[in-house]
Amino acid sequence: MRNTRLWFLQLVTGALIAILLGIHMVMMHLDTILGFFGIDAVEMHSWESMIDRAGQGIWASLYIALLAFVLYHALNGLRNIILELAPSVRTERIITRTIMVFGIVVFIWGAYVPIALLAS
Amino acid sequence: MTEANTKQITLRVQRYNPEQDSSPYLQEFIVPVSRGTTVLDGLLYIKENMDSSLAFRTSCRMGICGSCGMLINNYPHLACHTQIEEFHTDTLTIKPLPNLAIIKDLVPDLATLFDNHKAIKPYIIHHDTEEMETPSAEFTQTSQTLDSFLQFTYCIKCGICISACPTSASDKLFLGPQALAQCYRYCSDSRDGGESERFPVVDTDHGVWHCHLAGACSEACPKGLDPALAIQLLKRRLVSHSLGLSKKQSPSPIVPPPTESNPKVPFPEFTVKGS
Repeated sequence: MRNTRLWFLQLVTGALIAILLGIHMVMMHLDTILGFFGIDAVEMHSWESMIDRAGQGIWASLYIALLAFVLYHALNGLRNIILELAPSVRTERIITRTIMVFGIVVFIWGAYVPIALLAS
Repeated sequence: MTEANTKQITLRVQRYNPEQDSSPYLQEFIVPVSRGTTVLDGLLYIKENMDSSLAFRTSCRMGICGSCGMLINNYPHLACHTQIEEFHTDTLTIKPLPNLAIIKDLVPDLATLFDNHKAIKPYIIHHDTEEMETPSAEFTQTSQTLDSFLQFTYCIKCGICISACPTSASDKLFLGPQALAQCYRYCSDSRDGGESERFPVVDTDHGVWHCHLAGACSEACPKGLDPALAIQLLKRRLVSHSLGLSKKQSPSPIVPPPTESNPKVPFPEFTVKGS
């Protein structure tokens, strides 16, 4: 039932991305609307503001989770597309392993800053 | 057939003999057509009167056997079930079903279809092996349960769904809508207990999860089946099974024999008496 679980995770991560990306988009790009509701979200794009958020547990967790979900969703989707064109089991194995290694490397790279800031 | 009701139609038929030709080519035949003439009638006319070397499959001539599936004007049809008049044209192009290898002319190689069909174990699997070997009675099944999968039992294995499927076109290892729909047909049968044997076959990298839900199989099926629906319902069964949410139901038992205390209902007496 491996493929069923992978597909179900694809479904779950898709729904979670919609929620987390929604939060991200509202905070980063809808500051005028947030201001209308009395939330002061100015200077969200500044370096200091970004580093400050990355050092807070809740924001760091949110962004690390978003990174993990996006990487899984995108790379599993990419793997499915490539596998449809793969002519042999050996090629499939190479593709799967390459994509897994790529995903892990990108995740460590992306999650390094918030984890380092949290640790400091 | 009077001459006034007959007109001439050009059939452009794909010819290909792998032993002689380097690639397929189209050959034109002019055949007489009248009201009710099917594409298969046209091909039989060519074979009987013009070129006996033309190869195509046919058997029942009434849309039951599924032998004469072919690509007619770029859409898969059963040749015996398609009248030439339907197309409102003077030229028809006839090719073998795509997504399948060609044996000769209009004859596709259906070996992959039958291999995939066999792989999903298209028969009732029941834990009562003794009853399966030497049946003593029927297994119980309500008409409502039968209705839930009845349409999928009408598959004639013509291969038209596979030739219409975009996933089968790009993924040569894809199980195909025919086998997946038949997997659902047997898994949803209340007499069957073979999910655990069939799920590993369809839960692969080229199995049920590679269906794009284009719905082309359902649109093309000459028997009016909805394989796309069966595949979606199969996905639901797989997810429920994987998450442990499926109801644990053992296959239905055999119908109990009539007893003395439970006699058969007597046949009603005739209300109109003969004089």
